[in-house]
Amino acid sequence: MAIRPEEITKIIKEKIEHFDTSVDVSEVGTVIQVGDGIARVHGLNHVKASELVDFGNGIKGMAMNLEYDNVGCVLMGADTQVKEGDVVKRTGEVISIPVGAGVIGRVVDPLGRPLDGKGEIQADKNMPLDIVAPGIIDRQPVKQPLQTGIKAIDSMVPIGKGQRELIIGDRQTGKTAIAIDAIINQKNIPEKERCICIYIAVGQKQSTVAQVVKTLTDFGAMDYTVVVSATASDPASMLYIAPYAGCAIGEYFMWQGKDVLIVYDDLSKHAQAYRQMSLLLRRPPGREAYPGDVFYLHSRLLERACKLSNENGGGSITALPIIETQANDVSAYIPTNVISITDGQIYLESNLFLSGIKPAVNVGLSVSRVGGSAQRKTMRKVAGTLRIDLSQYQELAGFAQFGSELDKESQRQISRGQRMTELLKQNQYSPLTVGEEVLSLYAGTHGYLDELTVADVLPYEKQLLAYVRAERKDVLETLNTSNELTADLENKIVTLLDQFKTVFKAGK
Amino acid sequence: MNNSTACRAAQRYAAAYDSLSTTTEQAVVRAEELSTAEQALAGVNDLLASPSVPLTQKQAAVQAALKNWPQVASFVEVLLAAKRYNLLAQIVADVYALADKRQGILRAQIVSARPLSDTEKQHAQRVLSTRYGQDVKAVFRTDKEVLGGLKIWCNGELLDGSFQGQLNRLQEELIK
Repeated sequence: MAIRPEEITKIIKEKIEHFDTSVDVSEVGTVIQVGDGIARVHGLNHVKASELVDFGNGIKGMAMNLEYDNVGCVLMGADTQVKEGDVVKRTGEVISIPVGAGVIGRVVDPLGRPLDGKGEIQADKNMPLDIVAPGIIDRQPVKQPLQTGIKAIDSMVPIGKGQRELIIGDRQTGKTAIAIDAIINQKNIPEKERCICIYIAVGQKQSTVAQVVKTLTDFGAMDYTVVVSATASDPASMLYIAPYAGCAIGEYFMWQGKDVLIVYDDLSKHAQAYRQMSLLLRRPPGREAYPGDVFYLHSRLLERACKLSNENGGGSITALPIIETQANDVSAYIPTNVISITDGQIYLESNLFLSGIKPAVNVGLSVSRVGGSAQRKTMRKVAGTLRIDLSQYQELAGFAQFGSELDKESQRQISRGQRMTELLKQNQYSPLTVGEEVLSLYAGTHGYLDELTVADVLPYEKQLLAYVRAERKDVLETLNTSNELTADLENKIVTLLDQFKTVFKAGK
Repeated sequence: MNNSTACRAAQRYAAAYDSLSTTTEQAVVRAEELSTAEQALAGVNDLLASPSVPLTQKQAAVQAALKNWPQVASFVEVLLAAKRYNLLAQIVADVYALADKRQGILRAQIVSARPLSDTEKQHAQRVLSTRYGQDVKAVFRTDKEVLGGLKIWCNGELLDGSFQGQLNRLQEELIK
């Protein structure tokens, strides 16, 4: 692009001509102490809580503690550029983020500044970060399913649009993988029903975020995704506001009647960042040194996930917060808090992960409190008893380990359980459409896998899906769109599975 | 002890000292006395601040230095006994602020590029008095970096009519 100096000169001249030369009146204070991302300011007598203040040099701060003779502020930038005696100005604004359709496909920081080098973001307006969640009248119950494309989740822990479903587990158990798969799966969903996805990285490594962005780009998921990134090298204040910033972007789309899926990865680090800020601001520490309002920190964020009433456009925000536990301890402070706030949890266990069950969902401890009513009827009919069957299998499998003689019924249950466990395994980045899920679970729950060896289950499923995609697209289409498993449709499935049985046997 | 606690302690001592005066005039005189006493104690500051010197010796030094102001001497002895002598400078400032409050006076700091004439000074103070509805007593300072115009700090506000401020704002505008 050619640079035209005369155009630049014209713009500068115009700006100088229209420059307001009147006296600038601002309420000011003086920095009396600065360090660790916190500044104490004397003055600013009328500053309001959470108001943005200007430290000069482009550094902004947020007034957090309004004390008798000073104001405790967190800095939204490097504290090395702020020194004692500097003048701080009130701005009269609360912290906000630019939002608009132009933010889709971009990687931004919690203040809405682009991080992907793709130039300025075209924003329609500014949204305040911390707003009160929509009230009861504005909402309607969760009733539409949100497909993650993961068999184990869509069948046993269904998620509805507007729900808050926690993903919890130790490190390296596949928490982020589930969230990313759910985002990638939106590609399989017709554009009208597709969610706009927002991935919020809080305290992650820059390399991890870069990897996530690359994966999403490779799978074409960045076309409908926004990444808000506050990495481990950013100040605690940025980590603190990141989830609220992402949620504000989501709310913009929600009020336009769109469905939004937000992944908070992860809220443990968010709580730690808030703890750091609170302790430095000398707020009294409570359990595990977290401040007293750490519950409110997360409840006010997750309350913003909702399904709006039809009068309000019917948009929704579905939240998938992630919590990392230490040594599978779900009874620690932050995990119990977030478990109690959310509408259910997907509990991932390292033992399952290490024994090759991926996704490592612990069926017994994972629940979805509101998603069941949002589940498609086809899926509910196919997978209705799956959770109980698998729980019974796990109990029986424990007995079977002692080598005791088992009756025929128990042996059948164990055999079915082994095959279903195998069937629920799924590779990363390979989400299935709802039709494919229903078909493969139908085969499992109706005994089509019973005569196969456990090792043959996954090849069977793979070939079945390939066969259906190639030969019986019509059945798949009907399953993808239909909400009822009619007798006619069921007959079609049975015929298809019978036909495939011979194809699979011949292929072996 | 953090800054904030010290500030609050200084304000409590200042309020106690101020409450000794029943009239505004008395409060102003007492504020002046305390300020003079602080200057008179400058010579024995090291001794009074030293933790190794016994209290009796410190009290004797204060009595000797402040024999003309017995009430102020008693106040300083209270500070020494409570180990709050380090707050004296802050207390003096706070006592002045309380005396100003009693008189309805606002303090201002006016910075200009060149020294102002008496007429200009009076005019500036008059304009500020009208703006805030109170008497304004200003301290005038020169700073070449202001370039032109005035920069005024008063009542927790910065009224920036300086060329320096305008150029800074123009710079921000152009960068935007």
